[in-house]
Amino acid sequence: MSTAHSSAHGDQPVMTGVVDGVATFDPSGAFDEHRPPDAALVGDCVHCGFCLPTCPTYVLWGEEMDSPRGRIYLMKGALEGEPMTDSMAGHFDACLGCMACVTACPSGVQYDKLIEATRGQVERNHRRPLRQRLLREAIFATFPHPRRLRLLRGPLRAYQASGLQRVVRRSGVLRRLPTVIATMESLAPPLGPSSSARPLPERVSARGTRRATVGLLTGCVQGAFFPGVNAATARVLAMEGCDVVIPRDQGCCGALSVHNGREAEAKKFARAVIETFESAGVERVVVNAAGCGSSMKEYGELFADEPEMAQRAAALAALVRDVSEVLVELGPVAQRHPLPVTVAYHDACHLAHAQGVRAQPRELLNAIPGLELREIAESEICCGSAGVYNLLAPHAAEPLGDRKAANVLATGADVLVTANPGCLMQVATAFRRRGAAGSAIAMAHTVEVLDASLRAVPAETFQKRSLLQK
Amino acid sequence: MSSPPTDPALQASEISDVLAELAKACDDQVRRAEDGDEVGGLPARLVAAPGSTREAADVLRVAADHRLRVVARGHGTKLHWGATPSGVELIVDTTRLSGVVEHAAGDLVAVVGAGTALATLQEVVGGAGQELAFDDPLGSTVGGAIATSPSGPRRLLRGTLRDLLIGVTFVRSDGVVAKAGGKVVKNVAGYDFGKLLTGSYGTLGLITEAIFRLHPRPVRSHHVTRTISDAADIGPALRAVLASQTVPSAVDVDWPAEGPRQVSVLLEGTEDGVEQRADAVARLLDTDVGDGAAPPWWGHYPFGPDDVAIKLTCPLTEVGTTMRRAHARAAEHGLSLASRASAAGVVHAATPGDGPPEAVASLVHELRAGIAAYDGSVLVLAAPQPLREGLDLWGPVPGLALMRRLKHELDPVHRLSPGRFVGGI
Amino acid sequence: MATTAQRRPRDLDRLAARLRTVLGEGAVITDRNRLRTYECDGLAHYKVTPAIVVLPHTTAEVAAVVRACVDERVPYVARGSGTGLSGGALPSAEGVLVVTSQMRDILETDAPGERAVVQPGVINLHVSKAAAPEGYYYAPDPSSQQICSIGGNLAENSGGAHCLKYGFTTNHVTGVELVAPDGEIVRLGGKAPDPPGYDLLGAFVGSEGTLGIATEVTVRLLRAPEAVRTLLAAFPSTDEAGGAVSAIIAAGVLPAAVEMMDALAIEAAEAAVHCDYPQGAGAVLIVELDGPAPEVEAQFGEVQRHCRDNKAFEIRIAADDIERALFWKGRKSAFAAVGRISPDYIVQDGVIPRTALPAVLRRIAALSDGEQGQGTEGPSGVRVANVFHAGDGNLHPLVLFDESVPGEAEKAEAISGAILDLCIEYGGSITGEHGVGADKAKYMPRMFTDDDLDTMQMLRCAFDPLGLANPGKIFPTPRLCGEVPGRHKGVHPLAASGVAEVF
Ligand SMILES: Cc1cc2nc3c(=O)[nH]c(=O)nc-3n(C[C@H](O)[C@H](O)[C@H](O)COP(=O)(O)OP(=O)(O)OC[C@H]3O[C@@H](n4cnc5c(N)ncnc54)[C@H](O)[C@@H]3O)c2cc1C
Ligand code: SF4
Ligand code: SF4
Repeated sequence: MSTAHSSAHGDQPVMTGVVDGVATFDPSGAFDEHRPPDAALVGDCVHCGFCLPTCPTYVLWGEEMDSPRGRIYLMKGALEGEPMTDSMAGHFDACLGCMACVTACPSGVQYDKLIEATRGQVERNHRRPLRQRLLREAIFATFPHPRRLRLLRGPLRAYQASGLQRVVRRSGVLRRLPTVIATMESLAPPLGPSSSARPLPERVSARGTRRATVGLLTGCVQGAFFPGVNAATARVLAMEGCDVVIPRDQGCCGALSVHNGREAEAKKFARAVIETFESAGVERVVVNAAGCGSSMKEYGELFADEPEMAQRAAALAALVRDVSEVLVELGPVAQRHPLPVTVAYHDACHLAHAQGVRAQPRELLNAIPGLELREIAESEICCGSAGVYNLLAPHAAEPLGDRKAANVLATGADVLVTANPGCLMQVATAFRRRGAAGSAIAMAHTVEVLDASLRAVPAETFQKRSLLQK
Repeated sequence: MSSPPTDPALQASEISDVLAELAKACDDQVRRAEDGDEVGGLPARLVAAPGSTREAADVLRVAADHRLRVVARGHGTKLHWGATPSGVELIVDTTRLSGVVEHAAGDLVAVVGAGTALATLQEVVGGAGQELAFDDPLGSTVGGAIATSPSGPRRLLRGTLRDLLIGVTFVRSDGVVAKAGGKVVKNVAGYDFGKLLTGSYGTLGLITEAIFRLHPRPVRSHHVTRTISDAADIGPALRAVLASQTVPSAVDVDWPAEGPRQVSVLLEGTEDGVEQRADAVARLLDTDVGDGAAPPWWGHYPFGPDDVAIKLTCPLTEVGTTMRRAHARAAEHGLSLASRASAAGVVHAATPGDGPPEAVASLVHELRAGIAAYDGSVLVLAAPQPLREGLDLWGPVPGLALMRRLKHELDPVHRLSPGRFVGGI
Repeated sequence: MATTAQRRPRDLDRLAARLRTVLGEGAVITDRNRLRTYECDGLAHYKVTPAIVVLPHTTAEVAAVVRACVDERVPYVARGSGTGLSGGALPSAEGVLVVTSQMRDILETDAPGERAVVQPGVINLHVSKAAAPEGYYYAPDPSSQQICSIGGNLAENSGGAHCLKYGFTTNHVTGVELVAPDGEIVRLGGKAPDPPGYDLLGAFVGSEGTLGIATEVTVRLLRAPEAVRTLLAAFPSTDEAGGAVSAIIAAGVLPAAVEMMDALAIEAAEAAVHCDYPQGAGAVLIVELDGPAPEVEAQFGEVQRHCRDNKAFEIRIAADDIERALFWKGRKSAFAAVGRISPDYIVQDGVIPRTALPAVLRRIAALSDGEQGQGTEGPSGVRVANVFHAGDGNLHPLVLFDESVPGEAEKAEAISGAILDLCIEYGGSITGEHGVGADKAKYMPRMFTDDDLDTMQMLRCAFDPLGLANPGKIFPTPRLCGEVPGRHKGVHPLAASGVAEVF
């Protein structure tokens, strides 16, 4: 082919990395010299496309540049000196960070590392349009702060108390935020406002013989809006023989900041969490929010350029487990009482793809007598929640939520079970858009279902959390 | 598009020169045409019988030089198929291009001359427990079968010749030898000319050698046959068998002009396997497994040389409907009709060639109109001379413009079987 | 093909503007960064940035694009999922890339009629998924089936592991709607078999996008088999494994699939997907039988016996679907997995007669190790991992190298080419399923004569006299359409047939 670029291999069918040519990184292009995506990692991609069908944005739009393979290609271009254009930044921003592509890739391409580095570059080297910037600021002024979030309980209070109102008016795009908060609120179990905000005790003792001492991360959204999940987690762990340590005044784990390229902020949050749990004397740090768990397991890498801190971070990261992992590791001791419900289990991306935790929640659910577990079609595709993605990119998040909702409803299950507050919210919003059709199904965290079985309480406790009742 | 320019017929004065040249080209195996050397009733002038691809190429080069129109002939069993050519000076007799050139038993492949009888090929490869998984209804040569692509019951599982032909050598109208495909089953290098030549009625080139993929001959075969009294049961019976897990090699239906209708299912495989599957089919059809023998009509076309031979195709689900419609329409026209169908979606039908021409023409017309409701086609494969004139043999042919262009590329002045094929090609 | 000189001056901006009015703003890409993500297919080594990328949704839109290209005399290339391994979807620098990834509706699944009608961008595996509830599936299963498109499969006549028993794409497509290179919409075949006239459908399948763009495809659905039995057998070397394959076939057993991997390929698969194949195997065979339960039972024992007779030291039988999936996972991820054990590698695709397998493998080993025996990695040795569809003799040698080591790339290339020569020497083919594309056009003359190639190009000229559809692919030298074959002289054939007016 005379039109083919010249290269060392002549005319052979070479499955070479995409970056067969990035000999030298060109910092005059889109990326600066602070931690650019690793050209060698970019080069691991052999352009096979196996990751495309699991990528939510490819599923939606069917365009190469909004696929993992395309985004890696854009990174390659940027490394080679292509400038940071709106289009380039837009395709990186459109990535949900769901990591389905990492699971799908047979070549072991570490897209997680690549996109994290790229997000930092975009954050520094691209100026987003004003509305986008305001929106981001508003979000990051709110979400990673459990106390501010707690204040937002109740859409109206939220709107007024946080100073958000002014921002909303100015940016004009924040109408969504109250909706999201309203959804959270509606999903929270029907406890009184004071009781639901009441903090958990600092230590819950094991029932029977103590088998382990674990710490519990209460999380921002989980703690503020789904305190029932934290309570259930503590109870289940205790019933399974754990002393549960729940440090007061835990901050954000930093996940949202990491996933959005806000490195300094992320480090600040992470450092505090590490210090809190280092001094707690626990064998495991149990997390019940998938997004938090996945970034905490990567604390070591976050501090890669601070050797001493990196060591401490890695040591703590090694203790981090999703609650389902811990429970399967321990093995059941408490009695499971029958719970005659049909549940559809939704794989949260940050649990299934980022942490590889798929079997454990299913194992826990399957072990409950009378419970029927159903699989959701296209389970590997993200629901569109992805941290705060649904706030930043509603045009993508909405159709993804609708698609997920349709697949969930098709299972005919009574309860949708998942391990991430963001997913619950996102799918709930999609159900709500479907009106009556979507309101028949209840939602719960895996650990709440287990809690109900261990305590022999009827399924209605969490089934009440149906949108119909709200 | 106006019909392509045809060359003037062979002048009497030219004949002896041409004979001499042809004799040189094919080792003296050339003669003047005799009685019976005709195509669709049209007498030819000369007959040449090349013994190799090279000789065939030389013959076609002579033909090109002298603007002879050429029709290839194997056993001549289907020479009356298709339209009458616009003219023919030279018949190329392929029977000297015969023999199984190579049988690579371990690779399940055979290379065979185009003039070889299919029966001979089956005999040779049968020696190694193998077969060409193709039912030859008429006793064809390899080349004749490829050119007209007849089909029998086992097309259901194995497909037609197009699916078994993996390589082909042929001579173009200008005497150039070309080949496509090869000796390995899996091969995607270049265009698949084998497919184009299959069913092309000799209008694209003269096939001289073919390479087929073979199959191991099954250890055991068993037919389960039952009589169907209500024609409305044909469709459901076929559907039940196809939807089952018995994987029949063939499911054919016989609907004679008189006498009982039958459906017969062929199972092939291992001893135990076939036995159990035959039981299952018998249960499905609510009959007993029987002795396993093929019914007498199996593997034969319903038509003889004097009949109007019709081929209808349709989606698998419409075979019963198509048969019923055909018999109903024929009855309305007072025509007797016999038909045989493969569950793969093909119905062959016959009506006597001495029926009233208008009635036959209307029948064909109405069948076409009926089939338009779903996907399918109605072809008149053959019809006795007087009837043929008033018949549209092919019906609508999607893609005809492209076909004309293809013909034009390969045979620009239409010397190979001119007019025998669709759209006057 | 029309020469460049004959073409009108192009105005690609004008073309882009015209395409935008037809397809809408979002479906026409001219942004450089975006265009660049389309510059290669699965053979990432060839790169050409297209001038324009379009993402049509309907047949009418594809036809409008093609007509616009014809008017402007601009070449165009179809692209499905871009997984092709021969550079078939390599764009033209001054042309339009027509991407079908948004034409991805399954229009109909008709299980009793054993057909599905799909748009060309539909992913292969999605057809089987759609038919599964009714107990049917689409048989051709390239290893890339999770992403490759039906349109791409059609163009490449793709095969897969199960094609040994069930045949290739060409045996499973009964109809196509296509936009011919003159912009006309043509339907060939449909749900019914044997459409009248030339089997243009048969020629279109495997034509690598050079005869037009498929916009709707009717495929066969097969009844899902009642029983599937899969075994994984480990052998000391590929010789014994090859012997087992021959014995199985000679016994008259036609497995659904017989796949082989050698030690190096196993190593890669282990690294990628932890498939846990038997330790110390010089070769593994995956043999799968499917069909009616009694047939499968009868033959499965026989297959095991042939494996044991040929010195299989371990035979595992998949107990359930999960285990079977694991057997296959190793095999299906093997190509991409080689990336784990080598920075760069060439995926070769050649075919030999099955019986020549042991001989050819020995020759390949000799090529890679110099004079050394099999499997050793001499100091100058280029490692070759072998993965193949052993049942039909389709080899996929993976030639490993490290581009950063001077000279390695050249050596790997030489070996890769020599393997193709071996295939031809043993009467095989230079490609079994990946196609010729841009990559192997230069090898075509080793397999075919000039006359053969010239004849093939007559077909191309019939469809595409202007040479705008995927130019530069398959054939090393384009044929000037309108050349009259042989010695006939007279009216220009295009004019005579009325074709010339069309353009
Ligand atoms: C890891 C890996 C494993 C593979 N395994 C196999 C295998 O086992 N078997 C196998 O056969 N192949 C295999 N392939 C090759 C490839 O997947 C197939 O060739 C596949 O059919 C290409 O489909 P695609 O949609 O990606 O097509 P593309 O790569 O986009 O295009 C391929 C060709 O088709 C043409 N084309 C695309 N769409 C159309 C259309 N609508 N109309 C006309 N022409 C069109 C293009 O112009 C091009 O020439 C593999 C590839 C990879 C990367
Ligand atoms: S992380 Fe998710 S959204 Fe981003 S490229 Fe990978 S699959 Fe697509
Ligand atoms: S699956 Fe992996 S190697 Fe293949 S295109 Fe995606 S990232 Fe690249």
